[in-house]
Amino acid sequence: MDLVTVKGLSKRYGGIVALSEATFSARAGEVHALLGENGAGKSTFIQILSGAVRHDGGSILVDGQDYRPANPDAAQARGIAAVFQELSLIPDLSVEQNIWFRHEPRTFLRTVNRTEMRRKTLALLDKYNFPSLRPEQELRRLTLAERQIVEIAKGLAKDPRILILDEATSALPAREAEWLLKLTRQLAAEGRLVIFISHRMAEVRAIADRLTIFRNGSTIAVHEANAVSDNEIVTQMIGRHLDRLYPERIATATDRIALSVKGFSSGSRLSGVDFALREGEVLGVGGLQGHGQRELFQSLFGASKASGTVELWGKPVSIGNPRQALTGKDGIALVPEDRRGQGLLLTKSVRENLTLSVIKRFTENGLLSRQKEAALVKEMVDFLRIKAGTPEQLAGTLSGGNQQKVIFGKMLLTQARVLLLYDPTRGVDVGTKGEIFQLMRDLAAKGYAILFHSSDMPELVHVADRVLVMRNGGIAATLEGDRISEASILRAAMLESEAA
Amino acid sequence: MVMSVAERPVEMAQRPAEMKPAWQGIDWRGRALDRAPFLVACLMLALIVAIYGSLQSGVFSLDEINLDTAAAMTLMLAATGQTIVLVRGGIDLSIGGMISLGTVIAATRFTDDPSTVAMWTLVILALGFLIGAFNGLLISLLKLQPFLVTLATWSILNGVAMIILPTDGGSVPGWWVGFGYAQLFGLTSPVWMLLALLLFWWWFRATRVGVTIQATGSNEKSAFLSGVSITRVNVITYGLSGLFAAGAALYLTTQTGAGSPTIGKDYILPSVAAAVIGGVSLFGGRGHLAGTLIGAFVLTLIGNLVFVLHVSSYWQPVASGVILLLSVLASSVAEKAARNRVQ
Repeated sequence: MDLVTVKGLSKRYGGIVALSEATFSARAGEVHALLGENGAGKSTFIQILSGAVRHDGGSILVDGQDYRPANPDAAQARGIAAVFQELSLIPDLSVEQNIWFRHEPRTFLRTVNRTEMRRKTLALLDKYNFPSLRPEQELRRLTLAERQIVEIAKGLAKDPRILILDEATSALPAREAEWLLKLTRQLAAEGRLVIFISHRMAEVRAIADRLTIFRNGSTIAVHEANAVSDNEIVTQMIGRHLDRLYPERIATATDRIALSVKGFSSGSRLSGVDFALREGEVLGVGGLQGHGQRELFQSLFGASKASGTVELWGKPVSIGNPRQALTGKDGIALVPEDRRGQGLLLTKSVRENLTLSVIKRFTENGLLSRQKEAALVKEMVDFLRIKAGTPEQLAGTLSGGNQQKVIFGKMLLTQARVLLLYDPTRGVDVGTKGEIFQLMRDLAAKGYAILFHSSDMPELVHVADRVLVMRNGGIAATLEGDRISEASILRAAMLESEAA
Repeated sequence: MVMSVAERPVEMAQRPAEMKPAWQGIDWRGRALDRAPFLVACLMLALIVAIYGSLQSGVFSLDEINLDTAAAMTLMLAATGQTIVLVRGGIDLSIGGMISLGTVIAATRFTDDPSTVAMWTLVILALGFLIGAFNGLLISLLKLQPFLVTLATWSILNGVAMIILPTDGGSVPGWWVGFGYAQLFGLTSPVWMLLALLLFWWWFRATRVGVTIQATGSNEKSAFLSGVSITRVNVITYGLSGLFAAGAALYLTTQTGAGSPTIGKDYILPSVAAAVIGGVSLFGGRGHLAGTLIGAFVLTLIGNLVFVLHVSSYWQPVASGVILLLSVLASSVAEKAARNRVQ
């Protein structure tokens, strides 16, 4: 018998239909992948399953019994736990306090039993071979990847029969992602149901038994994983045939240097980085994660300190803070890694997010011109094809891909022509990924200069004109033309690490 | 055909290599930075005591400790409630109204009969909790700003206090006043209350409720996704704040022997200031009562210092303001240093 059976599930947010008559069924002991573009209804579906949101219509049966959780607690009581992409962790609590939050072992004084909590934490981390975490470390000191791992531990701490993994691998470096995939199989072998959401087809291929495809809030198809081709899946996800994910790479770089960096250093994380980014060029930055890519982008944007010389369009600049970096047509704009935390104000509208940092552009005699603002906003929404009900829709209610487009819009409105894109396709669906790559090439053709980091290596190989491979905070190699391949990037990134 | 689950080879997940060497070893500097505001508060208190002691004889005595604690205890009780609210990420201005209301009820209803006093004491404490809980309920259900809700209830409670007792007056029995000066092992009751407050905090912050309040202040959305009922958290948080304000009112009557419909406002902002000086974050999630109590001592002793310096008493609020600024500056510098280390 199926462990979960969903029929006719519906959910509306105001005028927007998030789910309409969706169906789903899955067995204990299987890894069941849930696929769909951003905005297809996957997030709403798992929010309903995990008790964060209540559905309007339809039925859910768990173990043959009606299931309609009033809150996340009720869901956990029925053995359902979710590892959210939008993490549910508390910054001011320690790793172990987060893992056991609200389920802490207690002493006779009703206080948290720290000894017991530590023992249980170590037992849990050991049982599933977690990457080393320090239980007493405060969460806000951890990186995104480390937090993701804590979130996974928190889900497993409840010993759930159904575990939902929402894009859990997207924040993880390669080795940890591989660990998670094996862990997922292990959990299924223990008789649990794992509902697995990922935009990486290779991962789905590697571990899923079956897959369900959502589109526009409805269930389009259910397949046995090895009885369907990648092409069929993608076609069903986007509802049309996707000709090609990567746009044609036409060299548009000129001889003009847009951004020149010499001897760029920051503590032990960046050591003497030199490179030049030309007008009309897409310059990739690759390498193993944690070798200085993040620091390079942050420092160039002025968000953290670094020494060395930076020239923009031939003029030396000192970039002290993001405001200085942003200024004017000769400035720099950044698409940050953590779009929810750093790039977007989730509780503000699409319009406000777009225009917040460029308020000067539509100010006349010290007064805001609403018409000018509306015109600019419309231009951006149309240009980027942002799917929002109205420009007043809150950014937090948009799908991941559309949120990313808003950040692109915000960046383009600053009129800066040197763009720093840090993993811009993270957690973005296939269709929108294609749009973003096309947009990057279009911008390059218009004379923008783009520095582009991606944690997904094929993106660098297929989109960038040149690739800088970083190792230990420096540039290990610069690859160009035919020499750009996944193998050559890996070789340059790992050669010395291997020897060490 | 698809392989059945049983046929599929299960590979045990292997532990990946250490993600980051920075995880090794104890981060002493990070810990010190975390506690920087508290350490600065301790330093300030030590400095003030040193100056005070060099100008006035007999400062380092049991009597002085008894006297200063007695002077600071009303603020300490009010600031204890405020600390819980601030850690939750809110603010409670209504404690001003609750303190006034508590003193006028006591001054008009207490008689020489201990059973009457006991009953009205319970009524005042219960009222404190219920009014606070009502604040919490309004904030949650109507999704209103804590600042505005408690500003409104402050005004309401103030008005009610005026209606009950329009001017300072009334009285409490002499034996009730005696409670404030009772001694045990050479320490007066306020010092014992101080120890009780610390004990309470040590216990409370380690309970699930305490952790949940802190977590909700740290990140409300995450707390909700983890199954926390935000309404319940608000009811308990503001209820406790009201309860401590009622306690502050009762204690205050042992010091003044009378009721006052306007006295409460003198404790609203100082209760926030004491907490902030002691390192409690106005953004929620961080702070300890020990810091708040030290902050309350700092604010109280500044008054003593101004007195022994023989300058106009108007210098006291000036000095308090400067100290508040210095503490805020210290925490901001420490915060920045800590953030730079994370990146």
